Amino acid sequence: MTGSGRGGHAALERDGVLRADGVEVGPALLKIEGLSKTFGGTRALIDVDLDVREHEIHALVGQNGSGKSTLIKSLAGYHHPDPGARAWFAGQPFELGSGLQHGHDRLRFVHQDLGHVLELGVIDNLALRHAYVRGRFGNIRWAEQERTARELLGRFGVDIDLHRPLAEATPVERVVVAIVAALQGWDGGRGVLVLDEPTAVLPPHEVAQLFELIGEVRRAGASVLYVSHRIDEIFQLADRVTVLRGGRVVATRAVADLTPRELASLMVGEEVDPDFRAQVPAASGAPVVLEARNLRTRYLNGVSFALHQGEVLGVAGLAGSGGEQLPYVVAGALGREASGQLRLPGRGGQWTDIGPNGLTGLALVPADRAREGVIAEFGVAENLTLPILDRLRNGVAHSRSRETALVHDWVERLQIRTADQDAPISTLSGGNQQKVVMARALALEPSVLLLCEPTAGVDIATRIALYELIAQQAERGLGVIVSSTDIGDLLAMCTRILVLRDGVVARELDGNQVTQAILHHAIEGTDEQ
Amino acid sequence: MNPTVTSPKNAPAVGAASPGPARPGSGRPGVPGPGAAASEPRYHAPAWVRMPGALSFRNIGAVYVWLAIAVIFAVWAPSTFPTWTTARQILDENAATGLMALSVVIPLCTRTFDLSVGFIASLSAVTASYMIEHGVPVAAAVTIAMGGALLVGLINACVVVVMGVDSFIATLATGSLIAAFITLMTNDIAITSPKLLGPFAKIGQASIGGITLPVIYTLVVALVIWFVLEHTATGRRLYATGFNPESARLAGVRTARLRFASLIVSALLAGAAGVVLASTLGSGDPQAGVPYLLSAYAAAFLGASQLRRGRFNAWGTLIAVLLLGTGVVGLGLVSAPNWAPAMFTGVVLIAALGVTGARRRALRGGLGQRFGRRREATETPSRT
Repeated sequence: MTGSGRGGHAALERDGVLRADGVEVGPALLKIEGLSKTFGGTRALIDVDLDVREHEIHALVGQNGSGKSTLIKSLAGYHHPDPGARAWFAGQPFELGSGLQHGHDRLRFVHQDLGHVLELGVIDNLALRHAYVRGRFGNIRWAEQERTARELLGRFGVDIDLHRPLAEATPVERVVVAIVAALQGWDGGRGVLVLDEPTAVLPPHEVAQLFELIGEVRRAGASVLYVSHRIDEIFQLADRVTVLRGGRVVATRAVADLTPRELASLMVGEEVDPDFRAQVPAASGAPVVLEARNLRTRYLNGVSFALHQGEVLGVAGLAGSGGEQLPYVVAGALGREASGQLRLPGRGGQWTDIGPNGLTGLALVPADRAREGVIAEFGVAENLTLPILDRLRNGVAHSRSRETALVHDWVERLQIRTADQDAPISTLSGGNQQKVVMARALALEPSVLLLCEPTAGVDIATRIALYELIAQQAERGLGVIVSSTDIGDLLAMCTRILVLRDGVVARELDGNQVTQAILHHAIEGTDEQ
Repeated sequence: MNPTVTSPKNAPAVGAASPGPARPGSGRPGVPGPGAAASEPRYHAPAWVRMPGALSFRNIGAVYVWLAIAVIFAVWAPSTFPTWTTARQILDENAATGLMALSVVIPLCTRTFDLSVGFIASLSAVTASYMIEHGVPVAAAVTIAMGGALLVGLINACVVVVMGVDSFIATLATGSLIAAFITLMTNDIAITSPKLLGPFAKIGQASIGGITLPVIYTLVVALVIWFVLEHTATGRRLYATGFNPESARLAGVRTARLRFASLIVSALLAGAAGVVLASTLGSGDPQAGVPYLLSAYAAAFLGASQLRRGRFNAWGTLIAVLLLGTGVVGLGLVSAPNWAPAMFTGVVLIAALGVTGARRRALRGGLGQRFGRRREATETPSRT
């Protein structure tokens, strides 16, 4: 199969169908009309039309809950659409949601959770998705299996250690393996590769590597349906874009005809500025609320800084620079893996060691909402009050009434959309879950707030709401530390940005003067004059 | 309460923080689309199930099954089953099971297994009997037995929490050590002595108002556990530790301390069950506690499907003990063959847990979601 794939690729090049950037887009390849999907009483998709052309990279965008995933899952055959939906592939009608796990053979999917068995290496993860090469006794012929995997990866110019468990691979390597796994048995030629938010967990410098592979796939003859809610990616990558809002298609446009602002407004339904910047006055001469000295971990190599009242201090850096660890270190969440000293003028102002003393009690919003943030089995109220249960005590007993009042207050204040306080947190959208985690941190009434990836998986409207919330908190004297791999977060919120390289502070940038280019170069280390 | 946040002047400003987009009707009305829809049906049970909340089949299905079993045996053996004697027999025979089942509830809340409880019960039964046999006063004998249980609890907690060994295998290992110790001390011969039938027997055989003491102990322990789990901050933190230890830890819950304490609690309760067993039986049987291990876990897991779904809880556990115990006693009364009680227990467990499991899957209504409870949370942010 790999051989024929090469053949297809070569044939395409010979025929000169493709140019370097593969811009030439053919006729409609995948066409969907009148796709609706109802869950119980909720209409998740309403009369959706979509067409993906040959060799096209077609972006599908929308906020959390706009129906993107339902559309993808209907295409993939996980959901059975309401009657009346019609679909064609290369002019041939086919049935959607035919109950087959993989739907149409020419549609290949990479879902957001990737579906790897992380304990196993590349070879097994590829073979599990497709087939093992068997010997006469049903035994696996490992040598041949390895050769198959190598050829497959080589076809897309991917170079990865085949035997190392995927748990040890970088995030982008996992995405790449998932894409290659999805393309197994595809012999080149016409096809649609559907990618559901492949960059959701990727640090920015690894995104380029993914885009290269997507280009490679297109050059091999496929179209790509690319789901995302990162606007900048759409403009880098896509030819056309379809915008979903509230389960309906609100527009399908050529990307070249749009500005980022227009696209954001289409997604949200109102005028929205994707380049939003909270107006945070630089704190000049404000008192220090936190001072850190010589912070060290496996990645941090002696970082010292002072945080002033009303300051929003950004921490930027490539993966492994230590930036992503900094808030955890200051929160004391790394235990003995970290060393260094902190001084909190609000708490007496002595220098204290962070390592052995456990949590410092500063409010932390962790990076990975599902794993470190919320407790999925708990309701909204239970999640929100977890760190402040001691304040809701009535003698030995926990006071439900005080809890209810407090949670009600926060739900109102942060506009958290939930059916009721006891609704399981997992029924909330990502943005609203993040607001609950944020409310939980603020309910601690902290003097210092530590944020990691505060807007991961959050739609643009909620993102701006969070920026404004943080700006307001800062204005009222809170000191904030933000670590984010999303440059937009740092640009929007920070009064000062520390750029870390190799575990030390390499640059310190003024938040009011920094631009995307300056920050980007500082992070990559390409800023030395 | 928070000066930086509550100042009324600023309160509306936060509302304004999400200008249009968060408003209803702007793309994402109140309830989000597909993902929420999948979880919505949990409030749409068929009409016959939709009884007033607390009495619904979903909530206390085991009580209805228990009633059905009682009715069946009342019809089957009308002269022997529906009598006070039988009712008392059911309670007496299951009081120790109840205590054992309650002993594992607290560790299970923190997703920690204590599989040594059966051996701890044996150990304290043997220790108490040995002391009584050698003329130690009752109070001292019980204290020493409980001290032994406490020691085992400390060892368990050190191995599991401090050394970080998986609790399932670690407590099996300590259980094996206890078994070795018991054999060393008793040569596997039950301790019998007329002294055991003296004042010591009162612990397990005396009664107040016609109800034997072990039944009362069990009810009191259940009441305390219920209060702790439902009405204190500690209970909330215990559940948080079990559901997502990392989230709980970062939210300031001292998860290690709670798991440590939960293993001490289970050891002490199992020790108490052992003393009660020795007193009730009038002998120190080296195997006294072991047979209770399976039914204790069976009841705790069945109990977790009742009242507070997905959470181990005291009353659900006792309902499960009663359900299983009633069936076993009833089968004895209708002179069922000797393999029937064990078969009954197995069938009821699989049926009960299977039905609740299947329903939960149906309600979640999504492919793949059954493969991990974490998934539920990770799915949501990915909802597009």
